[in-house]
Amino acid sequence: MASQLSTKEKLLSLIDDIELISKEMIENAIAPKHLKLSCSDYAQRTQLLVAKDTELKETLKLASEQAKIDEKMDILKAEVDRQDQDINQLQKQLKEAEQILSTAIYQANQKLQSIHRANKRPVSSEELIKFAHRISASNAVCAPLTWQQGDPRRPYPTDIEMRLGFLGRLSDPINGHLLQQQNNISELHRSGHPGDIPASQPNQFAWHPSGEIHMSVGQGSVQVDTRNHKQETEDVEVMSTDSSSSSSSDSQ
Amino acid sequence: MEVAEQNTETKKRLTVEELQIEILPVIYEIIRSIEKDHHETSAKTRESQDCAQKVLELQKRLDQARVQIRLLPGIEFSKEQQLNNLEALKTQLRLKQELLHKYRYMYSFQSHKA
Repeated sequence: MASQLSTKEKLLSLIDDIELISKEMIENAIAPKHLKLSCSDYAQRTQLLVAKDTELKETLKLASEQAKIDEKMDILKAEVDRQDQDINQLQKQLKEAEQILSTAIYQANQKLQSIHRANKRPVSSEELIKFAHRISASNAVCAPLTWQQGDPRRPYPTDIEMRLGFLGRLSDPINGHLLQQQNNISELHRSGHPGDIPASQPNQFAWHPSGEIHMSVGQGSVQVDTRNHKQETEDVEVMSTDSSSSSSSDSQ
Repeated sequence: MEVAEQNTETKKRLTVEELQIEILPVIYEIIRSIEKDHHETSAKTRESQDCAQKVLELQKRLDQARVQIRLLPGIEFSKEQQLNNLEALKTQLRLKQELLHKYRYMYSFQSHKA
């Protein structure tokens, strides 16, 4: 293929040839008589010149045809470029899809493993709920629903409660019997705070960690059992029904 | 000696139509004026001046032709080479289109639901 002359080269060489021949002929015209070319030579040169000119014209025709072909090739090249772009786009999208799928599969695998692990050691939802209830009953997790600003209840033992406790009453011999009595009670639960409460609130309801209300009556505190127990079981029952209505727990 | 072809072109490229190569008339003029034998010296000098101008004109025409040829599109290769290139380009386009088609319709999610 390299041996073939491109049309451009052909045209340029033709022009060079014409230039040479014409120069020769002009020099011949101005040369002195003894250096002039013979008639036949001159005629030959003239014919050559004309032939070259004809060849030039034909090559120019060829060049115009090639220009048309070149236009077609440009259109084709544009098409090929478009296809290239499409292919690249498709490749990118396929890669993305593959990545997303592989992530999804990995996560699904993890989930399956955790399901398998959970199934190996099932726990009853009732137990879980009971534990949750016990943890949150002291209101340390969340304030009671009726709690407002200015409510003296706290999630931690307040100083009043501490003073009324075992350590606080250690140096108080007058209420020693009360201390003993309260000792028994405090083994089960902390005591409330009777008496120190301002008169505006004679019946003070105090929350205890076990979830039982203590109502202060005079100097002692009476455990309001019935209401709270019911409430506790109520809560537990309500929670159970809640849990059984939700789809995620296992029913046992 | 213009080659009359009908064509549309972009900038910086010439069509053969716009090419103007009129070399032979100029050569003829030059030779004729040299051959003319004037007897008056004033006519001779005038004639020789015209002659010099015509020679320059010839040179200019040739250079112009060269420049214009360089601007013609599509003549980097010979005709056969160009046709071969065209075929290769067509094949390339066909292959790429087939590839795209294959990738697009390779897996039909609807029909492969199992």
